[in-house]
Amino acid sequence: MTEMISITLRVNGSERTAAVEPRRSLVDFLRHDLGLVGTHVGCEHGVCGACTVMLDGRTVRSCLLFAAQADGSEVTTIEGIGTDEALHPLQVAFQQHHALQCGFCTPGMILAALELLRDNADPSDEEIRVGLSGNLCMCTGYVNIVRAVRAAARDGNVR
Amino acid sequence: MSTQAKWVGQALERAEDRTLLTTGGHFIDDLTLPGVAHAAYVRSPHARAKIRHIDASRALDHPGVYAVVTGEAVAQFTRPQRGRVPLPNSPRVYAVAYEQVRYVGEPVVGIAAVDRATAEDAAELVQVEYEPLPPVLDPEEALKPDAPLVFEEIGSNVLWHDTFPYGDVEAAFANADLVVNERVTIHRYSSTPLETFGVMARYEPATHSFTIWGHTQQPAQDLHVLAAAFGVSPGQIRLIIPPMGGSFGNKVRPLFIIAAALLARKAGRPVKWIEDRRESLLALGHAADGIMDMSAAVKADGRVLAIKFRNIENEGAGIDFAGRHNLLMLSNIANCYRLGAISYEGYSVVTNRCPVVANRGIGKPFMCFAVERMIDAVARTLNLDRAEIRYRNFIQPEAFPYDTPSGQTYDSGNYPEMLRKALALVDYDSLRREQAKGREEGRLLGIGIATAVEPGGSNLAYGMLISGPSQLLSGQGEAARVRLETDGTATVFTGGLDSGQGHATALAQIVADELGLNVKQVRVPTTFDSASHPYVMTSGVYSNKFHGHDTVAAIGAARKVREKLLQRAAAQLEANVADLELNDGRIFIRGAPQKGITIAQVASRAYWSLADEQPDGEPGLEALYYYSNPLANRPDDKKRVRVQLGFASAAHVAVVEVDPETFEIKILRYVVIHDCGRQINPGIVEGQVHGATAHGIAAALFEEFTYDENGQLLTTSFMDYLKPTAADLPDIEGDRLETPSPLTLLGTKGVGEGGAVVAPAAIASAVEDALLPLGIHIAALPITPSRLFEAVSSGMKLYEKRK
Repeated sequence: MTEMISITLRVNGSERTAAVEPRRSLVDFLRHDLGLVGTHVGCEHGVCGACTVMLDGRTVRSCLLFAAQADGSEVTTIEGIGTDEALHPLQVAFQQHHALQCGFCTPGMILAALELLRDNADPSDEEIRVGLSGNLCMCTGYVNIVRAVRAAARDGNVR
Repeated sequence: MSTQAKWVGQALERAEDRTLLTTGGHFIDDLTLPGVAHAAYVRSPHARAKIRHIDASRALDHPGVYAVVTGEAVAQFTRPQRGRVPLPNSPRVYAVAYEQVRYVGEPVVGIAAVDRATAEDAAELVQVEYEPLPPVLDPEEALKPDAPLVFEEIGSNVLWHDTFPYGDVEAAFANADLVVNERVTIHRYSSTPLETFGVMARYEPATHSFTIWGHTQQPAQDLHVLAAAFGVSPGQIRLIIPPMGGSFGNKVRPLFIIAAALLARKAGRPVKWIEDRRESLLALGHAADGIMDMSAAVKADGRVLAIKFRNIENEGAGIDFAGRHNLLMLSNIANCYRLGAISYEGYSVVTNRCPVVANRGIGKPFMCFAVERMIDAVARTLNLDRAEIRYRNFIQPEAFPYDTPSGQTYDSGNYPEMLRKALALVDYDSLRREQAKGREEGRLLGIGIATAVEPGGSNLAYGMLISGPSQLLSGQGEAARVRLETDGTATVFTGGLDSGQGHATALAQIVADELGLNVKQVRVPTTFDSASHPYVMTSGVYSNKFHGHDTVAAIGAARKVREKLLQRAAAQLEANVADLELNDGRIFIRGAPQKGITIAQVASRAYWSLADEQPDGEPGLEALYYYSNPLANRPDDKKRVRVQLGFASAAHVAVVEVDPETFEIKILRYVVIHDCGRQINPGIVEGQVHGATAHGIAAALFEEFTYDENGQLLTTSFMDYLKPTAADLPDIEGDRLETPSPLTLLGTKGVGEGGAVVAPAAIASAVEDALLPLGIHIAALPITPSRLFEAVSSGMKLYEKRK
């Protein structure tokens, strides 16, 4: 059998230790080993952005990383962004502006939008569109996503 | 007592969203079972080949492998598939290739193993010996007498061919001042749901029954397809459909469910299969490509008297949707125009390409592209403005309800007003001036116009045009069950499914109005379960049917519950039903609101106090309602049938600029005026219009499944099959027009497909208009800078299908 690799990382604020196969992708590790199924798999070749998570504060495509590469890192997934009792301002804006339909792209889109607004608190529509251009949405035509991100930026509560 | 529209009409936030936003929702791949095995498939590398021999012994011996299934086993344990519209002369199609492969990516061997990686490892150990054969890929080639046969057993590549003369076409041509001929084509594309196809199947040997979690858009029909394949009763199959991450007509592949179920049976444990993106692009299904020849009889003033159509539809190597693109094009082919006569000749042809499915708007995007290209061609021939030609040919607002030559009844609409609004929003006249000025400066600005009907709800009796009057399946309807819970809230079950359209929210709005509840007191489970949800054979999420079928079924069930509720309240209040009012969770005597009782009090007693006298004859507060649309008829002796049961409409105006050197196409403005009658939730409607329009724009400018001459699909990743990002698409501006349908209970019409129907035509119209100084005529899609450059630099005047 393949030799397992022992990793320790913080996921949404909790320390997790696991033994993983070298070929285990980060997204499969999050979904199948940790049960954090909010991170979705859309293409497994790094184009669609559905698997976007934060690794040490920057967005990454968790389908293109091995779990072993995240050893010692801090990972944030959609489950670490807001709760039903305390929605994150971006989650509020997405709901208010109908910025999701099937919702499959939404976790990745929220994380991409979060990074965008942390880098640029007051983006133009064009900057929003470019900033989100690593994440595909097949349902909305992006119009309401742009509106939601613009509204969240205007409210100024995104951290 | 009439119901009040307190919730219907409001752009409420969606009930579905919180779960999706905080936990990512509950999709098929988020579900699991103890001991579940994972499937992988060996897929055909050839477009057409005989399978000489399969040696799966090394795969079977691989550690962690539980089962291997080949075509032999599938043919032994399942019956061949019948098409959704049964064909008189049907080929034999199985879930896994049997004896032959017919397209690249066709499943050849299924493997179930401890995890997906192990299953994929084992798939590489399977040895398949093929005898490659020359494929046939082009539908016109497939029609030739010496063409290779995709299905030898039917003796031809034509699955279906028929002609439909409606009205006196020859008289119209004799009366015409001129005849305009056009040939246009549509390419292969797909709306590619972000979540790929998935299934998890469990088999119980003792009862020979299956529990299946998985994807479909037609649960009742697919449940029966599975039952027929396995030779079991529909009652031996439980079908559970979790919310889908998009479907767009693509998630209708019962063969994939059959294969997983067979693997589960053989493995003796549940089996899960989540398609990967490459598999999805290769084999889930494409919109049909097609070739349309048209001839229009036109008067000198621009009135189009009649059009003759001849369409060749490429079905790929499948039978499940045979003829459907053709019949849905045929039924809508009058589009928004007052055509006195129409003739339509349709061919459904098989080739060695991926089987087709019902991509968003099935057939209608090509219908609109073809008809609107013809109308633009007539305008060009007569040197008329593209808006003016449409005003001269539109069905006029006072003509509704309007019967088209093919037997459709257009319920309502105001096409001239719709176009006027769209043109006003872009400021058409000043755009034309800007365009003229720009042309002097060498700028290539174009204004594209397209309008279309957007049908909602299909009468599945249209299949009789292919299969004959003995076909059992007909009509359109939906089933609903409404239950008042003991706490006075309501739960609604229907045969509809969730793939992102917000139906749970819309149904809650409707039922809250019917039962005098707060919308938050009405819950609609988003996971369908055939063991608990009612259904009719037409149930599901497809064909824009929600607006006039799911809604009416829910209202029917809610009204039955309300009647029972009021009878019980009347008994408890010692009053007459006629004197009662229902509002805000309470029932009270009109004019004396203090004399009342809560719905929760009535509902509690209905379930707990069985020894009470039951005023409505039975305990409980639950009702079931089956709705069948009365407009649905059967084909008459002139082959007329109401294929579609409601007609929304839209006008799109696209403003583009083409770079004269690079031929990059930039969309400067995109405007949609949409009329879907009364809107249940305008926030949801607007989102549907945006999303569908984006699909149409992407189909026109970016997306194409490209095959090489050997039938290899060259676009098997999102790096080759180009989906638009936020940076590639324009803002979509718009407004609504509201002509309520007189033929639906709520005045609603379909929404969801329309943008995808109209946008390809609008984009083509805009690019052609921009290139007017170069005189290039757009007759094919997608329009890409490199191909435009090739056409221009080689001096061609026609942008046509890639050879």
